[in-house]
Amino acid sequence: MKSWGLLLVAALAIGSSFGVHKNNFKTCDQSGFCKRLRSFKPEKSQYSLNLDTVIVHGNVLSAEVNTVDTTTQKRIILWHYALRLSALVDGTFRVEIDEADPLYPRYRTQLALNGEPKADGLKIVSNENGIITVANSQGHKVIITAEPLKLEFVNLAGDVAVILNDNAQLMVEPLRVKKERVDDEDTNLVEVEEEGTWGENFKSHHDSKPRGNEAVSLDFSFPEADNVYGIPEHTDKLALRTTTSGDPYRLYNLDVFEYELDSRMAIYGAIPVVYSHGPKRTAGVFWHNSAETWVDVVNYADSTVVSSLVNLVTGGQKRRVDTRFISESGIVDAFVFLGEKPADVFRQYTQLTGSAPIPPKFSLAYHQCRWNYVDEADVRGVDDNLDNYDIPADVIWLDIEYTDRKKYFTWDPIKFPHPSDMVANLTAKGRKLVVIVDPHVKREAGYFLHEDATELGYYVKDKDGKDYEGWCWPGSSSYLDFFDPAVSKYNSERYLFENFPGTSKDVHLWNDMNEPSVFNGPEITMPKDCRHYKPPQDGNDGLAAFWEHRHVHNEYGLWNVRSTHEGMLQRVDNKYRPFILTRSAFSGTQRYGAVWTGDNAAEWGFLAVSVPMCLSLSVAGVSFCGSDVGGFFKYPEPELMTRWYQAGAFQPFFRAHSHIETKRREPWLYEAPTTALLRDANRRRYALIDFWYTLFYEHSVDGLPVMRPLFQEYPHEEDTFTIDDQYLLGDKLLIRPVVQPGVSSVPVYLPGAAQRTLWYDVDSYHAHHAAGYFTQDVTISKIPVYQRGGIIIPRKERIRRSSSLMADDPYTLVVALDVNGTAQGSLYIDDGESYEYRNNKYIYAKFKYESNAMTYSFPNENAHYPTRSWVERIVIAGIKTPPKTAKLHQGDKQLSLQMTLHKGNDVLVVRKPGANMAHPWKITFSY
Amino acid sequence: MIYSTWISQFYSVLLLICSVITYVQSDVPRPRGVSLSKAPLYSPTKDFTCFDGTITIPFSYVNDDYCDCFDGSDEPGTSACLNGFFHCTNAGHRPQNIPSSRVNDGVCDCCDGTDEYASEVTCSNTCEELGREARAEAQRLAELYKAGSHLRVELIEKGNAKRNEMAEQLQQLEKDKSEAEQIKNEKEALKNELESKENEALKVYREAEEQERQKKAEEEKQNNIKESLEYFTKLDSDKDEILTVGEISVSSVFDKNKDGQVDEEEVKYFFGDRESIDKDTFVSVTWPVLKPLLMMEQGMFKPAEEQEELEPEPDADEAADLDTEYTGQDDEASEGSDGAHEEVEEQEVESEQTNIYDEETQKLVAEASEARRHHTEAERTVREIEANIRKIQQNLEKDYGLQQEFATLDGECHEYEDKEYVYRLCIFQRVTQKSKNGGAEVGLGNWGEWAGGDHNKYSIMKYTNGVACWNGPSRITTVHVICGLETKLLSVTEPFRCEYKMEFSTPAACDESSPSSQHSSHDEL
Repeated sequence: MKSWGLLLVAALAIGSSFGVHKNNFKTCDQSGFCKRLRSFKPEKSQYSLNLDTVIVHGNVLSAEVNTVDTTTQKRIILWHYALRLSALVDGTFRVEIDEADPLYPRYRTQLALNGEPKADGLKIVSNENGIITVANSQGHKVIITAEPLKLEFVNLAGDVAVILNDNAQLMVEPLRVKKERVDDEDTNLVEVEEEGTWGENFKSHHDSKPRGNEAVSLDFSFPEADNVYGIPEHTDKLALRTTTSGDPYRLYNLDVFEYELDSRMAIYGAIPVVYSHGPKRTAGVFWHNSAETWVDVVNYADSTVVSSLVNLVTGGQKRRVDTRFISESGIVDAFVFLGEKPADVFRQYTQLTGSAPIPPKFSLAYHQCRWNYVDEADVRGVDDNLDNYDIPADVIWLDIEYTDRKKYFTWDPIKFPHPSDMVANLTAKGRKLVVIVDPHVKREAGYFLHEDATELGYYVKDKDGKDYEGWCWPGSSSYLDFFDPAVSKYNSERYLFENFPGTSKDVHLWNDMNEPSVFNGPEITMPKDCRHYKPPQDGNDGLAAFWEHRHVHNEYGLWNVRSTHEGMLQRVDNKYRPFILTRSAFSGTQRYGAVWTGDNAAEWGFLAVSVPMCLSLSVAGVSFCGSDVGGFFKYPEPELMTRWYQAGAFQPFFRAHSHIETKRREPWLYEAPTTALLRDANRRRYALIDFWYTLFYEHSVDGLPVMRPLFQEYPHEEDTFTIDDQYLLGDKLLIRPVVQPGVSSVPVYLPGAAQRTLWYDVDSYHAHHAAGYFTQDVTISKIPVYQRGGIIIPRKERIRRSSSLMADDPYTLVVALDVNGTAQGSLYIDDGESYEYRNNKYIYAKFKYESNAMTYSFPNENAHYPTRSWVERIVIAGIKTPPKTAKLHQGDKQLSLQMTLHKGNDVLVVRKPGANMAHPWKITFSY
Repeated sequence: MIYSTWISQFYSVLLLICSVITYVQSDVPRPRGVSLSKAPLYSPTKDFTCFDGTITIPFSYVNDDYCDCFDGSDEPGTSACLNGFFHCTNAGHRPQNIPSSRVNDGVCDCCDGTDEYASEVTCSNTCEELGREARAEAQRLAELYKAGSHLRVELIEKGNAKRNEMAEQLQQLEKDKSEAEQIKNEKEALKNELESKENEALKVYREAEEQERQKKAEEEKQNNIKESLEYFTKLDSDKDEILTVGEISVSSVFDKNKDGQVDEEEVKYFFGDRESIDKDTFVSVTWPVLKPLLMMEQGMFKPAEEQEELEPEPDADEAADLDTEYTGQDDEASEGSDGAHEEVEEQEVESEQTNIYDEETQKLVAEASEARRHHTEAERTVREIEANIRKIQQNLEKDYGLQQEFATLDGECHEYEDKEYVYRLCIFQRVTQKSKNGGAEVGLGNWGEWAGGDHNKYSIMKYTNGVACWNGPSRITTVHVICGLETKLLSVTEPFRCEYKMEFSTPAACDESSPSSQHSSHDEL
């Protein structure tokens, strides 16, 4: 929604220019552990595995790992660690390294995993010469070298895909007791304590660091990889860059006012998963850690990497990427994905962290938002104008100003006196309302939430154990500690209809500012020495009695949306699917809501970056992604606005939004020709609403990105490895948004030449043979979108005011033939809002077209849904020899169909088959 | 079912949708969704040609729930064509053309409910009720306009009178102006004549004055040299007529930076590049830079820097001024004060000169002064008249409505209070907003133009160019002028940031021939 920078506005009004205030945020050098560990580059790792301690039990190999002083000949053991290597299903391994006997338990991230990972078998294949080889049931192997410790992961082809600690950067800083300064004679004790161990400063903020240093680090090498991807959220390219000059990529959820482009700075989301890809294979690593994390990347193909280094490490091998994760706290906990295709690693990641459940259908339609629609009359006016100007829309949003002076779960009594009536007015046309609820709580006497939280001790505590007070929209604020199950439950219950009057099942939620954003905190967030709840346990006293914010930071927003999600389920007795939008993101967030790219600006660069940003989030599990259409800050001129709607219409989360201080820009406020273009973009979205819904259904089942990088589907086509200005929806549509002003053509890369792939321009049905780049002419109304030959796409061409009003409407099926004259597709139908699909009340149908027949069939015979929809039209593109007759068969009925051939572009239109979509059907063709 | 577009259907779902023929109350059978006027275009005995002429289809394809025509004309009664329209008769109320996408979408759009003939909702016919309400509203409006139009007639009369009055005033003023100019010219001629005499007489005195001034300057120069030589001698402790570095370093005045010693830089400052200096050089080079320091030591002189620091304050006032609105009146006020200022200066000059001249010169000077005064007065009269003329011309140029019905409102101010602010609308002048919690008045716009568009120009007033918003444009206000028996500001809202909307009622807007007085009473069956 917005950043805290508005508060600075008065001060900066004169001479201020757009841009991030970089010095509000730490560089690696200013972040103690990053500076400390980044420079740690031993020639040989101190860590070695004690072969005598190796035990394999079930799917787990455990062993003792020790650090050994490498500077002396004598074997002096410095510290003891415990290693666990687990084999998991689907070509995945897990490596955990913790202290054998830590002073206090070290934090293990709690919510990222979607339940306990499923175990695979594990057995020792060999154990000789200090090298143990184990294998899972599929035959993936791990070669463990004892000294120095190194783990090599071998895929089914027998190639090493991932190596751990090849660069000797494994490090787990042991927890220590703070030594008080003692007599001069004992100075050697004091000397151990590096400066900053027990406290760090940044700007005016002091971090007390009561546990001292506790950082962890490990390097992961990917032999024969061309590129690595992932670790969103950044404004950089999809393919990650070498970080030897400048800072590493940073993962630390932050509210960055006017964030900058092409940057490795941390912003709102942090998802620590990285994938490697080359022509030979794909692999990946999920660094399961919620603390502040920095990631270095060294790509050996990069000219900036010193060639001597390349020779030293790889013996002249040019294809390889090394990465290295450094986290401030926690343990080493890494999942290794062995692929071998991009789709495999993306699936392996969502297997662990979950994929998005089927969203309520409306949430895939168009959202109309602004900070703020100021009162009920304004909301009604927007709702009316959407209809007056025939702009289809499903949702109107309310930002923070709807509340009674920023007290969430209340309404401004003057501006929103009758929320129920307002909602009823929207739902009468099938529309919904989304309201914002942020995690900061106004500290105001008499506000029930504040009084409850104070009395019950539900707030996050400061370093001294008192309720932490920060500054946010309401002024002085505190923050609910969702880590406490009682707090989470309490928060969930605030969403019950009786506790949030004016809401109904058609009012959904937006959790913003949940990094959390604290205007006066270090780096605009919560101090790291704040205290979070930890379940009481014997012996857990003192520092062991709580977690510090530093341990859990990147996970905070996930706890927030999980609690919201739970509340939204409770309020409808688990009957209806909730929709939640969140700004902060972590691994697992995708299970609860959609993510948007935060406070962007009405500039072409921000439109362009929305594609790589969402691609990066998509491969990291967050398929439900979008950017503020039109740009949050500043005002988009008509051309930019048009291009943004056209781009947004083909991105998963499609919401227009704007800053309170900017000029209004609802579609009808532009000149009529622009309004018409925006309407057209929205109509394209609505025509494909069932296509989107089907993609998200398939995502819920297979965990694959909805919005895909080209290399996912064309993993051997090297040109695709770095393409991030175009993408695929499923494996079906190729989208190349126009993101530059004043262009009359754009280069479009059409992949799949080797497979003789055809790509049909969806506007003209003109078929292009895939052959790499070609030049697409564009006008202001053109959106370059291509349907892959061999794909059938269901469309609804009667665009109504909202998607729910289109539920019963008939389908137009667009059949794009491949070179063999065949095609297939899929369609998912259910009631769009409930969980009845879990009771088999749905249709997941397959379309199949061959020259003699087209079929519509239900692979799952138990699943049915009584839809009233029917087939209005079948458009067959790329037909060389048209059939003479067509006959529909459904049940025991038959009907001859009329057809029209459009000779100019080889398109055959079957007129009004009329078949009902609740039952299978077949159309036979004769020639 | 003569005009049935029935075609054999496959499924009952479609049966419902495609039973097309309807009999509307007017007894003219026509396809569903077609207005009476378009009925002849749908002839069941012929093939149907799309309105755009591109395609001809069997009549059975009309309203068969499949879009054949690019212009949507074959599906007036279904939702099949994205660009089509559905006509509802709405007997008892106004008929309507709704987009085809609203047919059978589960929302009742037509008051007669005919748009939802095959959806799950049942629409009740609310046309009678709505029609009744609409007619009552139309009736109320008609009565309001009627009552208002009487008041309006009065306003028109007054407006015309006011305008005529202004025209007369203008004529009178033009006349006054030419007279005043004539007087001014006479006074000017007289003044010029007397001034030349005065100049002649004063010439002697002025020359004497100049000589006196030169003499004084020379004296001062000599004094300065004398003073410097004395100081030289004082410093020249060995009396060799040459000042050396050693000699000056004992005197604290040369220690410019007051660090207790006279360093190289300081020496250079006073001596230039020389090692030592003689008397002449001291007088010409050293003394000019030394003298101020001496004076400073004696407390007679303040360093320049300190004075500068005191300067910037007036800027703050200037900045504050930017927030206030300038109007014609303000201009006059400032002109007036300029005049006063001149006068004061002249008086000062005169008072200085009294008592110095001989009697005859004295008399000439007095006469000239008198003539100057008269001339100034005459000039001011002309200026005043011109200002009045400008003002009236401006008012005459304002558009007070076709019949001058808004003329009497010019300058009338009306207020409206909400929770936080008091808004003030001064018709044809300006709009302001004042916070109830204090603070300066904020200008929301100055009279700009009528902006009701072609159909009803005088329904909206636009006040533009108010105080600029942060990071945004200048504030503007649109005033929606509606017919009412009272002249009153009814409401103020800010629908867009820094764009204010007011509703204002006045009998002047009760024009029975205006479109707004009529729109509810038409279109009825």
